[in-house]
Amino acid sequence: MANNDIALMAHLMRRAGFGASYEELERRAAAGYEATVEDLLNPANRPSLEMDVLERRFVDWREMNALEVNQAYWTYAMINTERPLEEKIALFWHGIFCTGNSKCEHGRQIKLQIDMFRQHGLGSFRDLLLGLSSDPSMIFYLDNCMSHKDAINENWGRELLELFSMGVGMDGEANYSEDDVKECARAFTGWTITNAIPRYPYGRYEAGFIYNPDDHDEDNKTFLGETGNFNGDDIIDIIARQPSTARFISRHIYNFFVADDVQVPAWQNTPPRDEEAIKMLEDEYFRSGYNIGSMLRVLFNSDAFKNARFAKVKSPAEAVIGTMRVVKDYTSPKPGLHNLASNIRYMGQDLMNPPTVEGWHTGGEWIDSGTLVERINFAADQVGNLELPGVQDMVARVGSDGPSTAEQVVDRCLELLGAYELADETRAQLIDHVGRGGDLIPGTPEFSQRVGQTLQLIVSTQEYQFA
Amino acid sequence: MTTTRFTGITLQPSHTIGRAEFSGPGFRNPVAMVRGEDDTMYVVSRSYDYRPDGKRITICTLDEEYIGEFARGVTTAGEGDPSDADGSLIWPTAIALDSEGNVFVADEWLNRISIYTGDGAFTGKWGAQGSGDGEISSPSGLAFDQDDNLLLVDCDNHRVQKFTRDGQYISQFGSKGDGDGEFNMPWGITVDRNGDIFIADWRNDRIQKFDRNGNFLMKFGTSGSGDGELDRPTGVAVDKDGNIYVTDWGNDRLQVFSAEGEYITQTTGDGSLSKWGKEKLDANSEMWQERDIAQGLERERLFWGPIAVTVDDDDNVFVVESARSRVQIYRRQVPVFFGGRL
Repeated sequence: MANNDIALMAHLMRRAGFGASYEELERRAAAGYEATVEDLLNPANRPSLEMDVLERRFVDWREMNALEVNQAYWTYAMINTERPLEEKIALFWHGIFCTGNSKCEHGRQIKLQIDMFRQHGLGSFRDLLLGLSSDPSMIFYLDNCMSHKDAINENWGRELLELFSMGVGMDGEANYSEDDVKECARAFTGWTITNAIPRYPYGRYEAGFIYNPDDHDEDNKTFLGETGNFNGDDIIDIIARQPSTARFISRHIYNFFVADDVQVPAWQNTPPRDEEAIKMLEDEYFRSGYNIGSMLRVLFNSDAFKNARFAKVKSPAEAVIGTMRVVKDYTSPKPGLHNLASNIRYMGQDLMNPPTVEGWHTGGEWIDSGTLVERINFAADQVGNLELPGVQDMVARVGSDGPSTAEQVVDRCLELLGAYELADETRAQLIDHVGRGGDLIPGTPEFSQRVGQTLQLIVSTQEYQFA
Repeated sequence: MTTTRFTGITLQPSHTIGRAEFSGPGFRNPVAMVRGEDDTMYVVSRSYDYRPDGKRITICTLDEEYIGEFARGVTTAGEGDPSDADGSLIWPTAIALDSEGNVFVADEWLNRISIYTGDGAFTGKWGAQGSGDGEISSPSGLAFDQDDNLLLVDCDNHRVQKFTRDGQYISQFGSKGDGDGEFNMPWGITVDRNGDIFIADWRNDRIQKFDRNGNFLMKFGTSGSGDGELDRPTGVAVDKDGNIYVTDWGNDRLQVFSAEGEYITQTTGDGSLSKWGKEKLDANSEMWQERDIAQGLERERLFWGPIAVTVDDDDNVFVVESARSRVQIYRRQVPVFFGGRL
């Protein structure tokens, strides 16, 4: 099998999923690139996690009320799912449609929103917005339950337009006015929630969505130039057909799946990094009837995507899960999952609890001196653990090559970790370091240790932080 | 005088014990319980991965008097590896009392049986991971037989093993499969007054009955949510008349079957405000106010994760709910009509 097939498959799996072991890359490369894209886009064709067994061992998962329990569950799901794009698209939407436990204080309620992303995240964007508009955690997070026909709260109406669908502007122009925000908020009056059952004495029960017609503003609204007695779903219909929505979602998809772009607030005045790719996505948005899966199919099969290897800084979730999928730890229930999941937070991404409604800044902003040390220490600890089955697999594969030079071992380890590439100078330094012990001879006492150390050196490089 | 007995059982809701707490009066993700001497009971809390301090055995009375707790989980929340120090718990699953009132607790991660006095003093442990005779893999159910030997549901070995109280292997029965006498990740166990053994054959969605020597006697239950069907049954108990109680975990209900395995009745829960719960609310008036405006409060009545069931000699039926940190108690009422004429 050609190495470029593996390299391309590793790229696809890092972006459409969270990376893959070398064995999985070989298997998928043999099945073919386009077939793998289809497999990823149709998660329902693959088995879901065996939740009965998981809830038996992680007994608290039946309830899943605390934030930390949910973070552990999501971490486990990302590591073990056979539907990687289902989890990846949930993570994608979570980064845009932010809802935070700091305000909601009910992890389960947010989990239900994430489940909705899993279910509808690859479908119609209109349906997704409708689901979001009636999601209790979002309604509470952005105060739509506090918006009444005689006293609107603009929070939801504003963020729906600014952060969730159209964006402030594009091509140097504003996409909507302050009046549009108010009219949008008026249309969503009455979209509220039931009062939840509080925590004590037995634990929380989730709130539900409820439409209260008595609190809905029934007068005409003028929104984006259209006038009528609009309700929330009418507003979503109008939003979904805006070119600015196509642009905004396309840029988000590009920024998440292809290459780091400038941060979202700059999008009004900064053209896309790859205007041709954005145009391709916009066209598919309208052609497919706002279908996100269709947009991703076009994207993954495009040269713009295939040629964008290592053009993105890994998010903390990608950094942790990508390493775990290679070293193959936590492939079955065991204690300590919370500690593992906490590494994502330590690296700056407190899942289900983003810093603001704006979400996390991405790309190079993930990295600072503290989070970089967290990333390196975490990855080095994992790949240097010779007891982990995935590490043993890699050592065995290197060993199967027979006696090898340092250069051969470095290149082989780069390939096994996911066809990584190093700058020439970095690669030369690694070869020099590994070579100080001479050639690596399988069967010698130090062989496994030296391969493990080579893996540790690689995951400590700048290059490993890129997906 | 003739006696006419109608087949039928009424489960009369009695009261609810518990509240969600990591220590003191209350439980946290309870998974098992056993009745003790007089009116005492022992409840096993599993808690969360990140709150091992909530793992414990709580001793209380049927009237919800808190007596004490023991067998703490490790207290390094969020740090380091779980400890396997003597008497500590990581993934506790089951509890049983021997004839002298000593407490035996199974841990399915440590593959260990820990032994305590009835007051909670650690006295010993045994258990070795494996699949050979006397080795165990994820013990999930415990029950003493009439000879004071311990029957242990050996979940991941898909069998039941019998040990002396000090852990000497005696015998075993069962293997993986779905035929008669075979198991798929079995969980709960009980021994009836005749010494017959009932096993919640968890992933086969059925209950199996064996004689004291492990010979297959009967089975009932199929996968589903209809009357008498089961979705991952966790616990099983038998009352003094032979009626069989099953926590139907996936369906969030308790089902009752006749001694012959025929469906009789079911309940989806009747949770009420416990004494400990009321004390908590009384001490925090804003909690009462939150409840006053809560909508859908009737949901609180329903079972959520019924994981274990016990019935005592006084016809009290105890249902442990892992997701609600409480035990719902019913009184069994048998409609028996005496007399020849009205």
